[in-house]
Amino acid sequence: MAGHVLFDGVWKRFRRGMSHDSLRDMIPAMVRRLRPGAAASKTELREDDFWALRDVSFEVKPGEALGIIGGNGAGKSTTLKLLTKVLVPTRGTAAITGRAGALIEVSAGFHPDLSGRENVYLQGAIMGMPMQLIRERFDDIVEFSGISGFIDTPVKRYSSGMNARLGFAIAAHLEPEVLIIDEVLSVGDAEFQGRAFGRIKSLVGAGIPVVIVSHQLDRVVELCTDCILLRQGQVALHGTPKDAVHAYLQGTAGADSTEGEATADSLGIQIKSLIGPEPQSVQSGGTFACRVIGEVTASEVPDHVEMGITIVDAASTRIMYEVTFRTLDVHPVRAGVFSVDLTIQANLAAGLYRMETTVWHDQRQVFIQGPNRIIQVTATRAFGGTHQLNASATGGG
Amino acid sequence: MIRTILRDLWNSRELFVQLTQRDLKLRYRQAVMGFAWALFLPVLTISAGLILRIAFASGGGNMAPSLGGIAIKSWAWAFFAGAMNFATISLLSNASLVTKIYFPREVLPLASIVAQGVDSLIGLATLLLVGYWMGFHWSLQLLWVPVLIVLLLLLTTGLAFLFACANLFFRDVKYILQVLLTFGIFFTPVLFEPTMFKQYARWMMLNPLSPILEGLRLTLVEHTSLLHTITSPAGYVVWSPWYLLYAAIVGIAATLIGMIAFRKSASYFAEYY
Repeated sequence: MAGHVLFDGVWKRFRRGMSHDSLRDMIPAMVRRLRPGAAASKTELREDDFWALRDVSFEVKPGEALGIIGGNGAGKSTTLKLLTKVLVPTRGTAAITGRAGALIEVSAGFHPDLSGRENVYLQGAIMGMPMQLIRERFDDIVEFSGISGFIDTPVKRYSSGMNARLGFAIAAHLEPEVLIIDEVLSVGDAEFQGRAFGRIKSLVGAGIPVVIVSHQLDRVVELCTDCILLRQGQVALHGTPKDAVHAYLQGTAGADSTEGEATADSLGIQIKSLIGPEPQSVQSGGTFACRVIGEVTASEVPDHVEMGITIVDAASTRIMYEVTFRTLDVHPVRAGVFSVDLTIQANLAAGLYRMETTVWHDQRQVFIQGPNRIIQVTATRAFGGTHQLNASATGGG
Repeated sequence: MIRTILRDLWNSRELFVQLTQRDLKLRYRQAVMGFAWALFLPVLTISAGLILRIAFASGGGNMAPSLGGIAIKSWAWAFFAGAMNFATISLLSNASLVTKIYFPREVLPLASIVAQGVDSLIGLATLLLVGYWMGFHWSLQLLWVPVLIVLLLLLTTGLAFLFACANLFFRDVKYILQVLLTFGIFFTPVLFEPTMFKQYARWMMLNPLSPILEGLRLTLVEHTSLLHTITSPAGYVVWSPWYLLYAAIVGIAATLIGMIAFRKSASYFAEYY
């Protein structure tokens, strides 16, 4: 039977605080609920309730892989828990047809006092794997995990990496008809991650429907055919992975820039647009170009105002590279519109990066984010792993 | 709904076996006393009963100790109390599973009950080995024992389901259970017989555990059939077949109510940790 995932108009209500936790507190709460009109319907919020998901719908058919991205608290994990039946929707339908394999909390069922071997059977059973299949796959699972030497050691003596590897190895041998993945792409060391990713890719390639939640946006772009951006429990965008990732990264930056606008005048400089980068997808070690257009609104730019670009790793939000226009000798000082052309050599590992423009006051700690853009870096064999970027610029005021 | 639950349970029988094995392994792997632990609580209860009976008998009462009766009833009580204790906390002690992975949640309290049952089987085997000296004899009436054990299992399962889900929603339930079990032994004919209350004996039988425990004593020690009314020489009713029917009805009703209440609230378990 072909698997299928349907999420139809799902709403999920949660309580903000702890609900009554002891019988003693329950009696007054019940009395309160007896009052006319106090009963909450499925469409209303009681005091302290909030919607974790609001009218979320999607469908995943065989051959499709849906990515779900969004900030913390946007409702990603709630969506997955509704799919795996750990939670039930307040309204709407969440249904999976076919045997679902969930790569979520892959070592949740491990008991520290039991050996790796015993835990493989226990965790397998918890994930709904038939005993027969676990027995058949046992050697494969142990080999995939790469910890065969420790399989009879109690799991409490495992490192967290070994724990996760064994858990993933079990989950990866589930033979599911629907695959649900939550943030397990970052398990173990680089070598194991590569193997785990390869395994997931082959499952996706086999045509079973897949739902992936991840903060590793480049992986989402690589694996998914479709993507949903969640924002405060609602679908902000449903489209191609690139569009969704783009909107997500724009959104996170956009929030900052509106906040800064109030003080933008005080700096006397505004960055109006960022054109490029061209090409948007560049090989490791290749160069790309972009143009920054802005306006000096003050009659003279104060001494301590700086301007520049930052390149941030989209997955880890780590800053990879920063350069100020002053160090590139293109710092505009006169009133009027200016434009700066930058050429940057992308000595970056494959992945998605965000190029941000910023104006700031060196001493008053005022940072104002300008427009930002996504750059995709694809791998070449030549890239050796140093992150020394080189930028050159022309133009200015 | 009952049919759905039973089907779900049948489909997850392998998980159930794994969880029961886990509970048993963990209980014995690092326990110093090992399997002797399975005998510890019944032996303690029996000793307490004997001391009580000897004390009353020497005070002039007619409570002569009957070791066999106390032993089998203590055994049944130890199973009930142990199973209730483990099953009630089973959802909380498996919190990491319930909040993350879906499976029929019924397997958690059931695995606790069965793990306790394996413990009790060791106790029962020991009891039967030394049974000859305690007044157990072979007779056709022993066929009642499995029936009574099934009734005990039904009652335990129903109550365990109710307490397990109640304990998730209200964390003080396990303390209430402790109090109930501590004082319950005074309201259940474990260390004494209901006939000691003469004409009020039948009120003692309102406790659904009483007919089961008394039934075990009557068949194993007194070798009487449970299908006939038994009256004491003084004319008080010791046993009536209606007691058995009452225990069966309460046991089945408890199981059905427990299963339905558990399943209805199971959808919200993950939100209450």
